[in-house]
Amino acid sequence: MDLLAQILVNGVLQGGLYAVMALGLALVWGVLNIVNLAHGAFIMLGGYASWYLYTDLHIDPFLGLPLTAVVMFAIGYGIQRGLLNLVIRAPMFNTLLITFGLEVVLTYLAQMVFSADFRTINPSYAGNSFTLGPLVVPVARLVAFAVAIFLTVSMWLFLLHTRLGRAIRATAQNLVAARLYGVEPRHLYAMTFGLGIALAGMAGTLYGTVSQINPYIGATLTAKSFAISIIGGLENPLGVLVGGLFLGIVESLTTLYIGQTYADVASFGILVLVLIVRPGGLLGKTT
Amino acid sequence: MKAWKIGLILAVLAVFAGVPWYGSDVLIQFGINALLLAVLAQGWNIIGGYTGYASFGNSVFFGLGGYGVGIAMVQWHLPFAVGMAFGVVLAVVFAVLLGIPVLRLKGHYFAIATLALSQVMTAIVSNVGIAGQNIGLVLPPLNNDPLFYELSLGLLSIATLTIWGLTRSRFGFGLIAIRENEEGAAVMGVNTTLYKVMAFALSGIFSALAGGIHAYWITFLDPASAFDISLNVKMIIMAVFGGPGTVLGPIVGALSLSAISEFLSSEVTSIAGLFFGLVIVVAVVLMPRGLADMLRRMRKLGWGYFIENIRAHRL
Repeated sequence: MDLLAQILVNGVLQGGLYAVMALGLALVWGVLNIVNLAHGAFIMLGGYASWYLYTDLHIDPFLGLPLTAVVMFAIGYGIQRGLLNLVIRAPMFNTLLITFGLEVVLTYLAQMVFSADFRTINPSYAGNSFTLGPLVVPVARLVAFAVAIFLTVSMWLFLLHTRLGRAIRATAQNLVAARLYGVEPRHLYAMTFGLGIALAGMAGTLYGTVSQINPYIGATLTAKSFAISIIGGLENPLGVLVGGLFLGIVESLTTLYIGQTYADVASFGILVLVLIVRPGGLLGKTT
Repeated sequence: MKAWKIGLILAVLAVFAGVPWYGSDVLIQFGINALLLAVLAQGWNIIGGYTGYASFGNSVFFGLGGYGVGIAMVQWHLPFAVGMAFGVVLAVVFAVLLGIPVLRLKGHYFAIATLALSQVMTAIVSNVGIAGQNIGLVLPPLNNDPLFYELSLGLLSIATLTIWGLTRSRFGFGLIAIRENEEGAAVMGVNTTLYKVMAFALSGIFSALAGGIHAYWITFLDPASAFDISLNVKMIIMAVFGGPGTVLGPIVGALSLSAISEFLSSEVTSIAGLFFGLVIVVAVVLMPRGLADMLRRMRKLGWGYFIENIRAHRL
């Protein structure tokens, strides 16, 4: 019983992190209709950014989050404005391909610049943990989880209550109508993509504090983000949070009861089932 | 088809078929790889290019074909041909069982559901005893590269002929109708589910045959390499680079991209992957409908062709 509770705690903590990873992907997908295959690569870049901030400048990864976010936002804005806006009206296939190309470029750039070594962001408190009754809670994971929840809720409030957030939601619903109300799509698309990449970057920071980063983690993280976006739906950050927690828990349970190799099968099996039963996502609208 | 066209195609085919006689060993090995990739691109062309269902899971068929040959030859001591047939049966069964639910999905959703397939298969096969679990299978070696080369070339020719036949058959028109407007096709009396599953199975058959040849050639098979996920993306890029939904486009795309990537990895080893990524990005921006379309329309529009493409698709 204690083991099960511990597994659930691990799953929930992991799930919060998964949610932030997927948040940016779901935002870009929902608003721009681009499935960003390079999303995981941006998570990886964010991880390296924080690693350098911590190792060379001794900035705590959690305190350095805003800095990472700003840098990643600028990169995302530039890529959307200069590149992706050029192909945005091409068939869906082409946007998949171009983001895949980006993923390849980023992965190899990272390999050249950062080398293929595994890196972990290791602040002094990284190994600490405290006990809660029979449960062991690692501090770094708990902080990462708290930040993840904070980011998700902020994103939700931002989309609901700010001018830019409303413009983004309006564009997702109807580009033409949004244009009539004075939304400048080139700028707005770039802002949205920038936001998505900033979220990816911050997810990378959190990922780097609890696990190892290397240039090749991108593809798997993209796939996981996909699964979560679909389980949670694209409309609402809180849905993505639920999707992330769900995936985290399912993975931990599968690892415990069936075996490590089946963890991915379980998550993707669920993904396929969800797609077949409810193509709009478990929590999304039915179409 | 005009006589000179048939003559030209036969001449090109003869040049390709003659490679084992005048080419170096390295060229033959490069040829086997490139031709098998071209078969995969052609297989994808049927479901992705003609039917409009962007499958990211065709490497599952490649893996099943490989395992068909592997299991038949290693575990049951049957000849290679029986193994190929077994692989095809596996692929068809898989295409039908999985195609019926998954082909109901559209657009991104179909792409992603199929993307998960190869990962799932890797994990499942890693636990199947007869497939050697995650240790893999070692096939009896056959050191005869020219034979594998000709087999690959033959398979590519059959795949291409099949697609050429498709473009002038009722079945092929049905697939194109599904791509252009699925509801419309259904209204016109196309049995869309049957057609889609058949297209998925047909594309699976060619991929499985390519996988079978590849497994026997490499003589080793393990889950990670058999269901290689990057293979999915490779075959799609090759088909799209050449021109999806055309008879010869995927071949041109596969051979030219293989050549580019081979050249890059021998000349500028460390940054080859980087260049490959850049080629994809630039190609999507400048020639979104592939080489085939570019060659056709560049003659009229010249450099304006590229500007036209950007203008058509930018925000």
